[in-house]
Amino acid sequence: MTSPFTFWDARTAEEAAALLSKKGAMALGGGVDLLGEMKEGIRAPEHIVNLRSIPGLDKIQKTDRGWRVGATALLTDIADHADLRKDLPGFAESAEAVATPQIRNQGTIGGNLAQRPRCWYYRAAEFACVKKGGKGCPAEKGENRYLAIFGDGPCHIVHPSDCAPMLVALDARLFLRGPDGARDLPIADFYELPSKNALCEFTLKPGEFIEAVEIPTALPRSTYVKIREKDSFDFAIAACAIAGKIDGDHFTDARVVLGGVAPVPWRSVTAEANLRKNTIADAVEPASNSATDGARPMSQNAWKIPMTKAAVARAIRSFLPR
Amino acid sequence: MRVVGRKVERKEGRAKVTGAARYVDDLRMPGMLIGRTVRAPIACGELVGIKTELGGPGFTTVDFCDIPGKNVVSLIAEDQPCLVEREIRHAEEPVFLIAHESREALLEARVSLECRPGVPVFDPLASPRSFKDILIEKGDVAKGFAEAALIVEGEYRAGLQEHVSIEPNGVIAWPENGGIAVLGSLQCPYYVHRALMTLLALPPEKVRVCQAETGGGFGGKEEYPSMLAGHAALLALKSKRPVKIVYDREEEMAATTKRHPAIVRHRTGVAKDGRLVAQDIEVILDGGAYVTLSPVVLSRACIHAAGPYRCANVRIRGRAMFTNTVPNGAFRGFGAPQTQFAGEAHMDRIAEALGEDPVKLRETNALRPGDTTATGQRMHDDCSALEVLREAVKRTRFPEKRWKWKGTGRGIGLALFYHGAGFTGSGEVKLASKAALELTERGARILTGTTEMGQGQRTTHAQIVAEELGWPYEAIEVAEVDTARVPDSGPTVASRTCMIVGGILQACAKELKAKLGRLTPRAYLKRNGPLVVTKSYEHPGDVAWNDETYRGDAYGTFAWGCEVAELNVDPDTYEARLTKFTAVVEIGKAIHPVLAAGQVEGGAAQGIGYALLEEAILRDGRMANASMTNYIIPTTVDTPTIETVILERPYRHGPFGAKGVGELPVDGAAPAIVNALRHAGADIRRIPATPERIMEALCASR
Repeated sequence: MTSPFTFWDARTAEEAAALLSKKGAMALGGGVDLLGEMKEGIRAPEHIVNLRSIPGLDKIQKTDRGWRVGATALLTDIADHADLRKDLPGFAESAEAVATPQIRNQGTIGGNLAQRPRCWYYRAAEFACVKKGGKGCPAEKGENRYLAIFGDGPCHIVHPSDCAPMLVALDARLFLRGPDGARDLPIADFYELPSKNALCEFTLKPGEFIEAVEIPTALPRSTYVKIREKDSFDFAIAACAIAGKIDGDHFTDARVVLGGVAPVPWRSVTAEANLRKNTIADAVEPASNSATDGARPMSQNAWKIPMTKAAVARAIRSFLPR
Repeated sequence: MRVVGRKVERKEGRAKVTGAARYVDDLRMPGMLIGRTVRAPIACGELVGIKTELGGPGFTTVDFCDIPGKNVVSLIAEDQPCLVEREIRHAEEPVFLIAHESREALLEARVSLECRPGVPVFDPLASPRSFKDILIEKGDVAKGFAEAALIVEGEYRAGLQEHVSIEPNGVIAWPENGGIAVLGSLQCPYYVHRALMTLLALPPEKVRVCQAETGGGFGGKEEYPSMLAGHAALLALKSKRPVKIVYDREEEMAATTKRHPAIVRHRTGVAKDGRLVAQDIEVILDGGAYVTLSPVVLSRACIHAAGPYRCANVRIRGRAMFTNTVPNGAFRGFGAPQTQFAGEAHMDRIAEALGEDPVKLRETNALRPGDTTATGQRMHDDCSALEVLREAVKRTRFPEKRWKWKGTGRGIGLALFYHGAGFTGSGEVKLASKAALELTERGARILTGTTEMGQGQRTTHAQIVAEELGWPYEAIEVAEVDTARVPDSGPTVASRTCMIVGGILQACAKELKAKLGRLTPRAYLKRNGPLVVTKSYEHPGDVAWNDETYRGDAYGTFAWGCEVAELNVDPDTYEARLTKFTAVVEIGKAIHPVLAAGQVEGGAAQGIGYALLEEAILRDGRMANASMTNYIIPTTVDTPTIETVILERPYRHGPFGAKGVGELPVDGAAPAIVNALRHAGADIRRIPATPERIMEALCASR
């Protein structure tokens, strides 16, 4: 069901910020997520502000700080960018892991980072759960096999993005634009746990939108491993992003971030410590086992713990010489 | 042969490939309204009141009071209402209908149902009511067990499966000729015809049912369109305008029929040499809230439950239980996939208990010509159990892999199975199907009520007719399905279309040829005027069935299959990944080898989903995962290379020897996969074998 809305083609970032300050305004990238939400009756924007009409917002370019990727860059273009893949292999892999070729041809990086969760209860208009401003989480006593094993509620969604955990591991910065100007922040700070804000997984002030993401090239070795039920296209059951530096047979710097298991990209510092302490081969066991330390599964999703360990183990093994 | 056995072009292939084919949702009619169904929010209880806030003019609304005839969806038993009057028996049960020109206005209209909840039954084992009980007995089971050196027992469970046709259910209905006309995506136009006569109290000539191009059926459009067409017809008659209802994926999944969940228990006595001496089998199907087709699904399930084996002492008891869930119904295989999954998984457990090779155990017991099945049906020369088994074993180098892969995380497993073609028992006699051939200037036109839904029926029928007449394939055309023009050829189900209806058409062609003599069609038409040859089904004299005792020839014949699954279990995630799938089938005669192979590959893929991925999850009687995000079907990436081998041993009464092929391949995939998992170390007795269940099984055995 869609109620009427006004559609705006923004021509500049400033204009987009002004338009997005209107009541009931929402930003449109590829529309993959927003249109689904509108059809499901979860969202009824009064104004839709198209960001893809802003010239140059889809640029992918190398700067002296690393790579700058505009918000409307297509996932396909990121996955297919040969130079970017050389510097940031994990980022290209994570973009390639998203959905189907059709969706990657339409979906933007900005939309991927700001997409909303896939939780059944959230997506069904008839459940007024805490994420939609209602009370409680029906999944606690309901269907929770795909939901979070970390995060401690009160909402137990898993963050659906493939690129977000990878960008957290790569220590990327997000550049936001709003009516009061521009600001930037580490991407890890963009995401918030439900205990802080149950309504939304990320922090955007009124009128703000993602303008670009900048990724430093300081961590040259990276990978993204995603476990899913269907091999063709699916959201992650569990995923692992690793970025770091390797000297000989061991990591000198390593960041391990899990996807599909928590309401936000979930960094595992214990796994990182185990990864740095050992040679890569010897790190597989301790790092993957410790990655799920502190996990608190729900009634139906304890199976995600071994899946998460498997994702971490596979990600580490991918750095072993073949 | 010039036409039969060749890869001729599909009759509707070009239209489908170029996008010219028009499906229900592509069609608009002047003044057409869109219809919507308001459904029960609870699984059990009473409807107390309906409140509407439509929010504007232009609505047509319908409740049960608007039904001119009987408020039932006419099928086997007339117990299912078209619209709820008071009693609610399952969630998503249709209660109220609204229609409007604008889809937006329609979706914004608010209708709330006030209900008084009752106490639902969801567990078929706890249900107090059985829709149908079946008992099949052969020999003396007690005597058999007394002779047994070993007794093996087991319980096996199979879950709900959704059809996931590429096109969901949809119809358009409009008032016509003082009655009603319906155009829909459907398998059985005459089922809809009969249901509308009863619902609307109309004589047969006032009801016309046409089939639109149909994007898949798999049984999901066997009985359900009778319900849906009734809804559209009621709205059309009240509004006096055309009304279209097309379900979206969520409604299709949540509200329409699915494959019956099953619990199957086996107790088998085995002699020292591996001979089966007693089979005691109990089959429990979850029928859902209304009878619909459950009695006949149970019948096929029970008849196939003992598998393609000879055993002197067999007892099969079956029940189809009432529960407060959406009625379960027809789905490719129709009960046989459930019971043959159980039977074949059990055979590998027997082999394990005996310390015997699974191939040898099957060789010892496989039906041979002259043997009898559980119902006492004697096998003829086209009994091919051993042939398909040996071919599959040879093709896959089964024994070698079985030995080499032991303990490596890889597994290979097989299943031997059969599928009876045509309606069960005396079903075909009662149906008394008709088909006709009409002479045209260029050749002949086929007139049948059977439907093309992707399986290639138009093509194979035209091949049979062309071959019999000795005319080119192109000279045969196939009439659109319209009950005002084509006879009732029975439903397009039960692997019967090629074998049964094709057989009637062959008889029509023989008669047409005799009537023409040496004349060309054009010359005949000029001299004698129009010619239509109509023939009815003639039951073979040597096929006999007793409905009272459940004994005799359950089917004219069986098609045979042996499927082999090769897989590995991922040591990290416990996912089963198929590396190769081989299907050896004996189907009498492949009228069109590519279409036949397509049926085998499609059926195998559907069986792979059934075995590993597809699980409709019910919560309080409602499907919790009614979307393709959460209800997972295999895509090409999840499906391994499927090697199809077609063997042909002609059926004496089939057209050019053809048997049915549509359902057979679904029967064997799940047990072959589960047996491969057993070989890889996982004792699986419940499908789908999701990674959690495989992990549980592997951890239990370590």
